[in-house]
Amino acid sequence: MSQDTLQDFAGVWIGKMSELVQTIIGSGPIKYIVNWSRMYALWPVHITTACCSAEFGAMMGPRLDPERFGMQAVAGGLRQCDLLIVEGTVTKKMAKRLKIVYEQMPKPRYVIAMGDCACSGGLFHDSYSIVNDVHKLFPIDVYVPGCPPRPEALLSAIVKLREKIRRQEVFA
Amino acid sequence: MTTEPPSPGISISKTAEPSTLDVSVGPQHPGSGHCRILIRVDGDYIVSADPDIGYVHRGCEKIAEYRNYVSNIPHLERPNIADAIHLNWGYVLPIEELQGVVVPPRGKYISTIAAEMNRIMSHLYGLAIMQGVFSGHTTIFMWAFGDRDLFIELAEMLTGARLTYSFLVPGGPRRDLPFGFEDRLSRLLDYFEKRLVEYDRIFFSNPSVIARAKGIGVLKREDAKKLGVVGPVLRASGVKYDVRKVEPYGAYADLEFDIPTFEEGDSYSRYLIRFEEMKQSVRIIRQALEKIPKGPIARKAPLVAPEGEATGRVESSRGEITYLVMGDNSDKPSRVKIMNGSFRNLIALPFLVRNVHVADMPIIYGSLDYWPVEADR
Amino acid sequence: MSQVSLSREEAIIGQLKARFPEAIEETKIDRARRVTIHFEKDHVQEIAMFMRDELGFDHVKGVAGVDLPTQKKIEVLYFAGSYSNAEVQDFIVILKAQLPRDNPIIASVVSVWESAHFHERETFEMFGVKFEGHPDLRKLLTLDNWEGPPPMLKDIKFPEMGQR
Repeated sequence: MSQDTLQDFAGVWIGKMSELVQTIIGSGPIKYIVNWSRMYALWPVHITTACCSAEFGAMMGPRLDPERFGMQAVAGGLRQCDLLIVEGTVTKKMAKRLKIVYEQMPKPRYVIAMGDCACSGGLFHDSYSIVNDVHKLFPIDVYVPGCPPRPEALLSAIVKLREKIRRQEVFA
Repeated sequence: MTTEPPSPGISISKTAEPSTLDVSVGPQHPGSGHCRILIRVDGDYIVSADPDIGYVHRGCEKIAEYRNYVSNIPHLERPNIADAIHLNWGYVLPIEELQGVVVPPRGKYISTIAAEMNRIMSHLYGLAIMQGVFSGHTTIFMWAFGDRDLFIELAEMLTGARLTYSFLVPGGPRRDLPFGFEDRLSRLLDYFEKRLVEYDRIFFSNPSVIARAKGIGVLKREDAKKLGVVGPVLRASGVKYDVRKVEPYGAYADLEFDIPTFEEGDSYSRYLIRFEEMKQSVRIIRQALEKIPKGPIARKAPLVAPEGEATGRVESSRGEITYLVMGDNSDKPSRVKIMNGSFRNLIALPFLVRNVHVADMPIIYGSLDYWPVEADR
Repeated sequence: MSQVSLSREEAIIGQLKARFPEAIEETKIDRARRVTIHFEKDHVQEIAMFMRDELGFDHVKGVAGVDLPTQKKIEVLYFAGSYSNAEVQDFIVILKAQLPRDNPIIASVVSVWESAHFHERETFEMFGVKFEGHPDLRKLLTLDNWEGPPPMLKDIKFPEMGQR
């Protein structure tokens, strides 16, 4: 066989092997283990614009204790976090920095839009300096309405997100 | 009569020494809202700091001209959500002055009780995050947030909302005290006074907190007066000025309380002063619960305000808030100007962080209790 | 209704009028502890120095701008207060100056009242008022590359807002 035919043959077989590996990992017990480890170690980056951050702080407090779900507040460790919680109004000045924060997070990454202002503009929808549609910056997984939402509502959003992670594909 | 050169640190030189490095602290903040402080460091010492704010500027003053007086209350109380009653009250006082509406005594007492509860909640929030988490002390974060939740439950019983009450309209509060409220509040205050002793043991007498905060960021009395700072920052530098005594509003003229002050002006005295103010707030609420008279709680106020302007001020937990409201015979204000505590304290930040270690900057920033959302409005 | 004595307010007005007879245009006592003084804009630094040194008003609580499109003027308000002088500690003296709307320029009082530093920056950004002599007059709150008009002027209507 010539050099080209050998290379094509090897390429096709490497492709088939990697497909086989992905199929093995993406089904059955390995998928369950990978998704279990992802949903039990959600570390949040919280973008506090301080209206809703008061309720985020109340959720991280001793009453609801999300640390039993593996959710620790890692202050400043952006590259180790995989959950971005957009709390409150996103101004135009901050939108650029928010996108930079989102792109610095490694995949898989999830986004929760907390509060009416992050969902669709909210109380300040007619201001000249805010961004009304945050979903155009990056895809959002869970929306939590409220002004501000109760800490229990935010915790139920996290439980929903964990359900979503449990069912999703490994190589999404 | 002379003009004076600007205080050191206030104006930043555009050219830098070759040995310095510009570091951007922010804008994404894990604790407070978003603001950016561009510090110029030379080794481990900060040479100058330039605050770059406006990342949470939502245009409250412009929106206020497009909505009527009562619809303005929800979005004008959002800048400082932990202390919403004071922002609400300061806005309502000049409107009542313009319209000539006098709140009945029972309404004033109810507003005072709600305001002092809010002061305790806001100081606990500051204690947990600005003073606790920024100095690495996470136990006080858990304890203070746990106790704050008990006050929030009582506020929910009174107003129906956890944090954003919209409780005071022109004319008085919207609801009376529900049955059982006074009893629950007295029991909570008994419990809280015991907790304050434990806070003292774990945080304020903690040797590592004292070592980090004592002697850092000293603001002398003359500088505090010249820079025009307000609130606990002013009182920790030795100036005894509190709007509740200077220009009493609500029921404060009938109640007995002290204004704590400290002479040192360093970060540790700024921590301690909020602790002392919480004790005074407990004292005020107890007296108000005993002395509250019976009667109506509010008077009906018209929907329009006549032409004119009025200035009203309250003492919130972060300092004095002054509101200017101008009416023009319609149901929308023609100008609302807000001068709040965080924006007026901002000038102390570049003044205090000169020639300190980089690690002292979060301590100074946290002790000033600067809240970017309130300053940006 | 009992008559509240307004002698302290009148004393302040009297002293200012005696010192600056030509610069003070109009004075008003809104109620107890509130005095409004309209003055001519060119004398702002002298009046500020007099208030600080002779009357004891050592800080400003804020500097506000008010847009008056029908009179084609922008008004700048200075809210002066006192920490040092116990007699006037409960006063707010509002000093007002009117500037032409198409070219609003006034001297900065930062060299007299340092507390006006950030307030003047904000008024510059929101109303377009230039404060001459301010050491660091640049934008404070709006977007980094905001090329638009000063947002708080009344005839600037943004598309998101409805009719007023």
